[in-house]
Amino acid sequence: MEHHFILRVISKMLIPPIMLYALYVQFHGDFGPGGGFQAGVIFAVAFILYAIVFGVETLTLVCPPAVLRAGMALGVLLYAGTGVYSLLRGYNYLDYAALAEPGHAEHGQHLGILLVEGGVGLTVASAMIAIFVAFASRSPDIKDTDW
Amino acid sequence: MFVAAITAVFISMALILIRAMAGPTLYDRVLAVNAFGTVTVLMIGLIGFVTDRPDFLDIALLYALINFVGTIAILKFFRYRGLGRSTADASE
Repeated sequence: MEHHFILRVISKMLIPPIMLYALYVQFHGDFGPGGGFQAGVIFAVAFILYAIVFGVETLTLVCPPAVLRAGMALGVLLYAGTGVYSLLRGYNYLDYAALAEPGHAEHGQHLGILLVEGGVGLTVASAMIAIFVAFASRSPDIKDTDW
Repeated sequence: MFVAAITAVFISMALILIRAMAGPTLYDRVLAVNAFGTVTVLMIGLIGFVTDRPDFLDIALLYALINFVGTIAILKFFRYRGLGRSTADASE
């Protein structure tokens, strides 16, 4: 049972800082390098590290495939929904000025970027985890000599 | 001072590459790739300081994290012949 004890402990110590770093990249993306896509990938790295050390079955207990599919769709819905909301308010598609009261367009810009980048991050993180699960849960091919 | 630091980083990169090519066993090569990643982190930090863009430190930190995860993935793949298997019930 206690194989790779050091690896398990170090991974458990590293996973929360990786998630925190992903959130930093997500919300600091306006002022430095970063944004929704990068933050989503970093967030997925935390889950991938967990799956590598503890097995994919353990990961699917934490985030089942249904949750991953819902996350992928929800992110796109959040992105497109922001655009459709501004359409319904009578502005252009994804015109963030629709999200604030008239005369305060910069507040709408802040809120709009936050929503859109949140959608991108959610979709990218779910898609990355789903791709890793799809590859890793495939059992390796048996060679002819192994029969 | 930056010239000296960058020269030192390049020399260690060359030495690590020689070890990665010549390494007799798999573990020498994996260790060389891991060390190359660490030196790359230093390189990114140096480039950030030379070009006066401290944002590069964020990228260096991220590179260190991804380097660690990548090394773990390579080692697990060669030890267990697949990434998905649980490491708890390994019989060997």
